[in-house]
Amino acid sequence: MFALIKLIQSLFGALHSEGTPGQLAAGIVLGSFLGLTPLFNLHNAVVFALLVLLNVSFAGGLLGWALFVPVGFLLDPLFDWIGHGLLLAPSLRGLWTSLYNTPIIPLSNFNNTVVLGSLVFALLLAVPLFFVLRWAVARYRVTVGERVRQSKFYRALTASKVYNVYKVFRP
Amino acid sequence: MKIKVFRWRAIGPLLVLFVIGCLLWWVFADTIARRESQKVGTQMLGARVEIEHLHLDIANGKVLMRGLTVASPHEAFKNLLQADELVADLDVVPLTEKKIIINRIAANGLRFGTPRTTDGRVAAKSGEGIAGRVLAETREWASQFQIPVLQLATGKISIDSLDPRRLSTIPAATALSARADSARHTWQAAYDSLRLGATLDSASAALERLRHARATDLAALNEARQTIDRLKRARDRITMLDRGIKIGIGQLQAGLASLESARQRDYSFARSLLKLPSLDAPEIGAALFAPGAIKPFERVLYYAQLARRYMPPGLLPRATTGPSRARRAGEDVRFPKEHALPAFLVRSAELSFLPERYAGRLTGLTSDPALYGRPTAFRASGPQLVAGALVNHVRSIPVDTAGATVGGITLSAFEIPGVPLRLDPGAATTQLGFTLNGDTIHARFAIRSSNVHWTRDSTLANTTIGDLIWHTVSGISNLDVEARLSGALHKPDLAVRSNLDQAIAAGLRAVLGEQVAAAEKQVRDRVDALINDKVGPVRARVNDVQTQAQAQVAQQRARLDELQKQLEQRLRELTRIRLP
Repeated sequence: MFALIKLIQSLFGALHSEGTPGQLAAGIVLGSFLGLTPLFNLHNAVVFALLVLLNVSFAGGLLGWALFVPVGFLLDPLFDWIGHGLLLAPSLRGLWTSLYNTPIIPLSNFNNTVVLGSLVFALLLAVPLFFVLRWAVARYRVTVGERVRQSKFYRALTASKVYNVYKVFRP
Repeated sequence: MKIKVFRWRAIGPLLVLFVIGCLLWWVFADTIARRESQKVGTQMLGARVEIEHLHLDIANGKVLMRGLTVASPHEAFKNLLQADELVADLDVVPLTEKKIIINRIAANGLRFGTPRTTDGRVAAKSGEGIAGRVLAETREWASQFQIPVLQLATGKISIDSLDPRRLSTIPAATALSARADSARHTWQAAYDSLRLGATLDSASAALERLRHARATDLAALNEARQTIDRLKRARDRITMLDRGIKIGIGQLQAGLASLESARQRDYSFARSLLKLPSLDAPEIGAALFAPGAIKPFERVLYYAQLARRYMPPGLLPRATTGPSRARRAGEDVRFPKEHALPAFLVRSAELSFLPERYAGRLTGLTSDPALYGRPTAFRASGPQLVAGALVNHVRSIPVDTAGATVGGITLSAFEIPGVPLRLDPGAATTQLGFTLNGDTIHARFAIRSSNVHWTRDSTLANTTIGDLIWHTVSGISNLDVEARLSGALHKPDLAVRSNLDQAIAAGLRAVLGEQVAAAEKQVRDRVDALINDKVGPVRARVNDVQTQAQAQVAQQRARLDELQKQLEQRLRELTRIRLP
């Protein structure tokens, strides 16, 4: 229950933050990488570093992560299929063989079908997701955003202590 | 408004996070490595791998392991091996390529077959992963051997009910009867198509005209000659038909002969329904010792097949089950590259067993034999122990060989299958030889003991056979059992012999020979009673068809010959030149 409230707080907090729609969309996109791909992998350390270092919405990142984790679980069979197809494609064998025998790269577990499949899927999804989210956030803010801000629900939500913790990390 | 791309103030917290990460690694690296090693080992072997303590010293490339226990994948409360301490010298640089290259391992205090308190089997219970699949395959392989069951203890001879539907002679007889009918129809149709009646009638008319003709009646003479030609052609046709009939009759006779073969098979089948104690020495050997002899073959085959899965020949990409995690494991695909290091390699391992007089050496254990270029070799020696193995997966056809001779080991006592006797081999010498060349297997397992001890089960008392078996074996103190396996891996031949076979077979034959003969005669009579009702009419039908066809042909041929003869004779009379 707490996680759900936190998620809703994150969602509204991010939507009404001072960050631009682009920052929020970029944060969610980076978070989607964390959610879609198996978490404990080298590329996710890079994604996390980008989420912290780039001036994108960190809350959006956490939101994206939380939203895309169940999607990742659901789409694992698809990722496995994509990864299997890519890793065993005869035309790509030379590329994978070179990467597999290059220092550091194998530590990314790219040779795992689910890791590679989910990473490729997340990369392909990133660009359209970014533009759709940026447009959606902008539309939200100019249409119902202000009314939500004035609502009792929003005020109750932002009055909780969790929101105060969130404010420390807002962009 | 210009938005800054970087959040420079976040570098500090990120660095702090990195340092915390490093600290956590420093604190928990040994635990993580220990748990991962246990997990990977368990997954690979299909049996629980436990490590009491593991210390990583990456800076110096050393790994220290204490209290290694590997459970047996086949036996619930037994360990495959235990080691007091293992020290490994690691090559650090290949770790950046996720490759584990161990230059040397020193293993001390190795012990085999020690008892354990918990069931350490994993693959046997879950059936998952490569080990689970290999275990299931080897079990299925071992179950293919048909081991005869002896009922020596009671020596009772009984006959199960004989189901006529399971006899092969009856359907064969029905089929032969149908074939005979079919042949009869075919021959009749062929005979009708010859139209011999018209030819014969025409010839008779021509003969009649010729009888009243004069020597100058050239038309009648020519007609007679043409009729003779037609008769000759008709004779040729009937000769051809006769030939076809003879072939068909030959086939029907072969069918009758095959009924006899089927009858013999039915005798054998019916005999198999008899609960007879086997009097055949090789069967006795197989019945007594094959169940025990197959086990070592099954186990060695399990490890050989695991080695083939984890150490495949060639350089093609290989997929194995990925790491277990909350998300789907997927598959890890390895991409070996020529002249590169293999993913896993133990260059050399010095093994020291308990008691300390035993020692061994393992070289070239690798996941990519084609890259390493040399086979994996193992040898161990000590008092009354010689063991060696060579796993050669360097070329496209893998060759796995193993051999061991272990003496002075007290084997546990075991029940003899089908006989309420318990055999305690005492201190025995065990030999195992195993070669798996591609898909051809040759293996040998032998036990020799000069101090066996027999224990008699109370249920064996008060039966003639029980007394016989007991008197036969109780005086034998030597045991010499040999099992041989050879042929294609999917269906090899198993032969088991022992020094007890002849003795038991001779004793049984003396006691049960007459009873067995009487029971076999009874079985044959029962089969005959079921079969003869079907076979007799079929035999008569075949003979009838044969006689009828041959008679018809002979009769027509005789008429043709007779007419031709008369025409020729009359022609000769008319054309003879009479001198005044």
